[in-house]
Amino acid sequence: MFARRESALLVWITALIALMITVMPLPKILSVLWPNMLVLVVLYWSTMMPGAGGILIGFLGGLCLDVLTGSQLGQHALALSLLCYLAIRLHLLVRAKPLFEQALFVVLALLVYEGVLWAVDGFSAQGTGTWTRWVPVLTGAAVWPLIAGVLGRLHAPR
Amino acid sequence: MAYAGGLNSPSGRDSAPGPRFFFFAALSIVLMYFDQRDGWSERIRYVLQAAAYPIQVAVGSPRQLWVATRDLFESRGSLRAENAELQQRERQLAVTAMRFEALEQENARLRALTDSLPPLVKRSQLADVVNVDLGRQRLVIDKGDHNGLYRSQPVIDATGLVGQVVRLGPWSAEVLLITDPEHAVPVEVLRNGTQTIAVGSGDEAELRLPLLPATADVKAGDVIVTSGLGGVFPAGLPVGTVLEVVRDPDEILARVRVKPRATLAQDRQVIALWFNPEHPAAPVDPSLARDLPEAPLAQPVLKPPPPPVPAATAPAAAKPAPAPAAATPSPASAGQESR
Repeated sequence: MFARRESALLVWITALIALMITVMPLPKILSVLWPNMLVLVVLYWSTMMPGAGGILIGFLGGLCLDVLTGSQLGQHALALSLLCYLAIRLHLLVRAKPLFEQALFVVLALLVYEGVLWAVDGFSAQGTGTWTRWVPVLTGAAVWPLIAGVLGRLHAPR
Repeated sequence: MAYAGGLNSPSGRDSAPGPRFFFFAALSIVLMYFDQRDGWSERIRYVLQAAAYPIQVAVGSPRQLWVATRDLFESRGSLRAENAELQQRERQLAVTAMRFEALEQENARLRALTDSLPPLVKRSQLADVVNVDLGRQRLVIDKGDHNGLYRSQPVIDATGLVGQVVRLGPWSAEVLLITDPEHAVPVEVLRNGTQTIAVGSGDEAELRLPLLPATADVKAGDVIVTSGLGGVFPAGLPVGTVLEVVRDPDEILARVRVKPRATLAQDRQVIALWFNPEHPAAPVDPSLARDLPEAPLAQPVLKPPPPPVPAATAPAAAKPAPAPAAATPSPASAGQESR
């Protein structure tokens, strides 16, 4: 029980740090390339420790993104909850794969995530943005090994 | 165990991710629905804004730290040079101000008003910029509802118009810059009073005037000021100077690029303004704006063409007709925003 609470704490703290990295103000070019760290971290914990954060962390993290990025309330929350759900459902499939294959799954997952955001933007008649909104899908997959490496060191060896 | 170790018996909490997912998804959709309709979600946002403020400060702090360190090591020589320059500017401004006072009196007489005009700006509040988000073209400032700021309040810096308050937290507010692509300011060319609308370009060094016909009398170097239409900004705030005008014979409209007067991205302090509704150049009384149905005035002017509703209400108060503010419930209630 104790170990479990501890790991949940770890998940929430890393998610908070990732959130801050995500919404950091950046120069223009960098902000196009900047991957959504929060999504990656939530994705990682949902696959590696499906019990610790659950879908709640996806929802709350998404809500924070909504407020901080000024998007529609609930937009990121929906996308990230969905991602969490998929990750928890498929975690056994992805977990044991080598990093490279995991990165491919990450591309898919981020496509789903950005796709939901895009669809919501379209439905609510906001501008659907330019092609640059899809760039973080690739950069996100590119930094996945880094995220997996750092977070893998943090939690107890399996 | 620390995590769901078993192959087919994930620990109790995620035994049913399906229903939980549907719950959260439904919740998100409900939130989105109400956010679209701009109803009570504003109140949720208000609370969340307060919760998010520490994050915004923390995230903006490296930049603040950098600026502070640079200040610390600024050399004596450059400070002295700056001091001399400021003194000279102050002298010039004093002369201009003297002249300005006389002109204002004269203007009031010409308008056949019995008394001299009340000052346009009733109150101003200096606010520190705690975070600059150029991706979203917003500033986060450290004053909010508790200091009486209100939504769609004009914000300036020492040189010109910066933007307007779009989100209000208890201790913080977000200012949308005039260069945001979704932001539009009703402006006029100072030289001849040609009225048009300045729309942001997404680049903090540039605005556009997309609605000027190719035959319009505007040229590089013209000063652009707010026209006072639209009910958000008062008349006469400097917005920018025209950089270039491209007239393509094939096009009906001229392409006009404007350089904003305010140093939007580098601002460290900005000023929020309150206005005397009696003054002819003042925008619509904020209390009046708040009492109107939510959408038209309380929201920033999002669409480039002159919106129909502000057009119906604003000219009454924003055009130089001295009386209309009397129709508002209480002319002095502009400062009594804190609920």
